[in-house]
Amino acid sequence: MTGFQMTFAMASDVRYLPIVRGAVGALTAAIGWDEAECRAIVLALDEAVANIIRHAYGGRSDGLIELQCRETADGLAISMLDTGDPPELSKICAREVGCHQPGGLGTHIIRDVMDSVSYERAESGNRFLATKRLRK
Amino acid sequence: MKISVRDVGPAKIVDVDGDVDLGTSGALRQTLFAALPETSILALNLGSIRYIDSSGIATLIEVLNDSRRLNKQFVLFGVSTAVEEVFRLTHVIRIFRIVQSEHEALGGA
Repeated sequence: MTGFQMTFAMASDVRYLPIVRGAVGALTAAIGWDEAECRAIVLALDEAVANIIRHAYGGRSDGLIELQCRETADGLAISMLDTGDPPELSKICAREVGCHQPGGLGTHIIRDVMDSVSYERAESGNRFLATKRLRK
Repeated sequence: MKISVRDVGPAKIVDVDGDVDLGTSGALRQTLFAALPETSILALNLGSIRYIDSSGIATLIEVLNDSRRLNKQFVLFGVSTAVEEVFRLTHVIRIFRIVQSEHEALGGA
């Protein structure tokens, strides 16, 4: 039997965020994570989409974001492609724990929740890749 | 997301209903920053928030920092399990004053 697979092509519009959260929440539950883990994965993915909207497209709502979620043998693989400004990898940094500054929270969440996170510059745009293992 | 502000004695209570994300946190920020200078206690009711992301948490940190600068109290109450998980993930749970009820937020035991 083939695993779950879901693909979205959407505008870089914040109004899509709750739609993505709803779909990814249902997908992660179907794959087998518990409620708290589903919420954490949904949050991490939401943060990654929000980062693309804010940083790659500078808040513009007419950019393209392609999101693919694929069930793998040991969990979930996420791939996102955008055609906005490439991320400055040296500036992608999580915040320090316990600090009172508001920046860097999203990156911290993504890295904390997901098992692997990487960024690639592809011919077709910027690619964000992340995986999460299902612990049985 | 719906936001409303109530005056209760010396405090202002901000009630929020819905999801706080990149698309809505700006409205919450605007409301909290408008209310803060006009009260000695600003209490945020999180009981009807179903979801909060890092932009929402960042907003709360900004308001907390400003409340300290202005010598005001900024209190959170009604924190659900889902919201508390985000506070813990971002390691900010200890920096806020979080209580169970509106009564406690207003200074009651």
